Amino acid sequence: MLPWNYGFHWTSGTMIFMGAFYTVLAIVASTLVNAAMRSRRALRTRQTERIRWSEDFHDLPARDRQCRHVLTGEISYRECPPAFDCRECQTHSKLIANHPPALVAESEEDIFGMSFPLDRVYHRGHTWVHTEADGTVTVGLDDLGRRLLGEPDRVDLPQPGARVSVNGTAWRASKRNADVRILSPVDGEVIETGGPDAPWYLRIRPDLYDFRNLLGGHEVRPWVMREMERLQLALSAESAVPTLADGGVPVQDIAAVYPQADWDAVCGEMFLEA
Amino acid sequence: MDRALIARGLKRCSTGKFLLWIAPWIAMLIFGLYAAGLCLVKGLNQTNMDNRFAFGLWIFLDLTVIALGAGAFFTGFLLYILKLKELRAVINSAVVIGLVCYSGAMCALAVDVGQPLRFWFTFWYPNVHSMLTEVTFCITCYLTVLCIEYLPIVLKNRKLRDVPQFLVFEHELHKLIYVLAGVGTFLSFFHQGSLGGLYGVLRGRPFAFREGFAIWPSTFFLFIISAAAVGPSFILFTTWLVQKISRKRLVRPEAMQMLGRISGLLLAVYVLLKTLDTLVWMNRTSPATGFAASEYYSWNPFGTWILFAEIALFGLVPAAILLTPKLRARTGWLVSAAAMACIGVALNRFVQTVQTLAVPTLSFDKFMTYTPSWQEVGTFLAVLAYGVLVYSFSFRYFQIFPEERELKLETAAREEEPALAGRY
Repeated sequence: MLPWNYGFHWTSGTMIFMGAFYTVLAIVASTLVNAAMRSRRALRTRQTERIRWSEDFHDLPARDRQCRHVLTGEISYRECPPAFDCRECQTHSKLIANHPPALVAESEEDIFGMSFPLDRVYHRGHTWVHTEADGTVTVGLDDLGRRLLGEPDRVDLPQPGARVSVNGTAWRASKRNADVRILSPVDGEVIETGGPDAPWYLRIRPDLYDFRNLLGGHEVRPWVMREMERLQLALSAESAVPTLADGGVPVQDIAAVYPQADWDAVCGEMFLEA
Repeated sequence: MDRALIARGLKRCSTGKFLLWIAPWIAMLIFGLYAAGLCLVKGLNQTNMDNRFAFGLWIFLDLTVIALGAGAFFTGFLLYILKLKELRAVINSAVVIGLVCYSGAMCALAVDVGQPLRFWFTFWYPNVHSMLTEVTFCITCYLTVLCIEYLPIVLKNRKLRDVPQFLVFEHELHKLIYVLAGVGTFLSFFHQGSLGGLYGVLRGRPFAFREGFAIWPSTFFLFIISAAAVGPSFILFTTWLVQKISRKRLVRPEAMQMLGRISGLLLAVYVLLKTLDTLVWMNRTSPATGFAASEYYSWNPFGTWILFAEIALFGLVPAAILLTPKLRARTGWLVSAAAMACIGVALNRFVQTVQTLAVPTLSFDKFMTYTPSWQEVGTFLAVLAYGVLVYSFSFRYFQIFPEERELKLETAAREEEPALAGRY
């Protein structure tokens, strides 16, 4: 009986009805509590960056989530299941084992006037990793990324000692109305910071020298070609006409030649941030 | 001014234009709140309802918006339980529509029932023999579920997701959303049914009274099917409307056609069952209570045309259009059929509430007409304005259509295709 409700009596009918009602309430409440507990655990174990990338990746257009082996023409269509972290991808391992990448004779790829040295490996968010003699790695923006940000209005670099993780935020950069996070290509500890005027942005002591998630050698050219196409579409979508003229090369500060374009949208698209 | 709150890559009108758009709706809301306030403070004497016409415009509105809002539960069921991935494109919109419809209906009910501060009485002193109690319990629970389902949409806002706690909670809650979709389906199944059952059990109103299965009259099942049928149609119609108003591509035609096909299929089942139900009622149920069915339709303006309009014009015709692939592929036909299906269900709810009460059943009764007072209309308009405002704000600041950005790029790609060919 409910307190102060003198006419109410429990019968089989009321028990079924009220039981169903309270079961539903219990399910809803436990779902909320479960989500809250899982969130607490994720925050404690510093999963925020992984989750942010997971959300951003799934919000990318399907054609931007393509596997690296689609770019090289080995597969016709495949969305990347491990969200650009090929270290966990069995398909990638199998394809590499079956078709070892051909050696590239050149030491540098010149694509539309942009320089992509092949002594380093590239992340799809336009950063590169170069292994230094002392065992550390340096991380910088590739030539296209550099031209997109031009002379950045502001750069927020992590403090030495901070940790970065693959596909997590390495640093933030602002240009005009754009404020984007640049994705980290490696897991590790930041030991020194550079900047836009230095040859690199971060010097990192990596946890592992496992760069299977990064593009190198023969993959660089098709990837950059695809990126140029993406850039052209991003500019067109922002009504930044006229776009890249046939035979031309991207200027050093692309933003400067598109003053009307929503640069935040263009940078979000190119640096893979939703 | 509010650019930082709008999702990256999405184009929205200027703040000034947006304020111009919402200004008339805010005015309408204020007028409606004044009308509702009068009803709450002075009582139901502000309305044209009386002991005979106890169900008026508000209950008609409640029944209609709850049927139209069924798209939320049904789309959630199709996406999260049956895994129809194409519907991901409209699920957020469906949740917003469901939330607006259900919360709007609750507000109108609060004015109708009165004494909103005593809302908890229904939970503490439940009349477990009343279908209305089940409706109240289920709708309250389902509104809670809808609020929780709306939460991830809000937390995905560009500024809010910068807060790690919000980002992570949204992510984790979204992973469990299938549980809420299941609960929502269970709750909706019963309250949609019980709303129909309310009329089917009215023995004193032979126009509405129906036989059925166990404790449930046939209207219990007809309301469930009609709501499930028309929910996707309403989502389809509103999506088209938002596309027209915002002049943007928001959803792929394939998703719209899938909504149309599902709606058409269920509508066809509904029309079949409704026809059978009407035939049984005409030939058995109604004569058994001493009334020939034709008597109900001898009162103008509720002639047989209303029966024809409800079943054939706004039931069979849209079902046929939606089930014909060639017609479904054409936006004009698709949207018109969806709108007709919505009108059909609204007409059905009108018949159940207003016509049922207008038709005399006792020898000393007369045919009654009912025209809502301006306070009733004002409250109705407040619910409408509230719905438009919530949807407008949601559309501006949240990602109601997750494929919008992708479609924008696709459109650009289509325009750029000749220029890009062979270059890269």
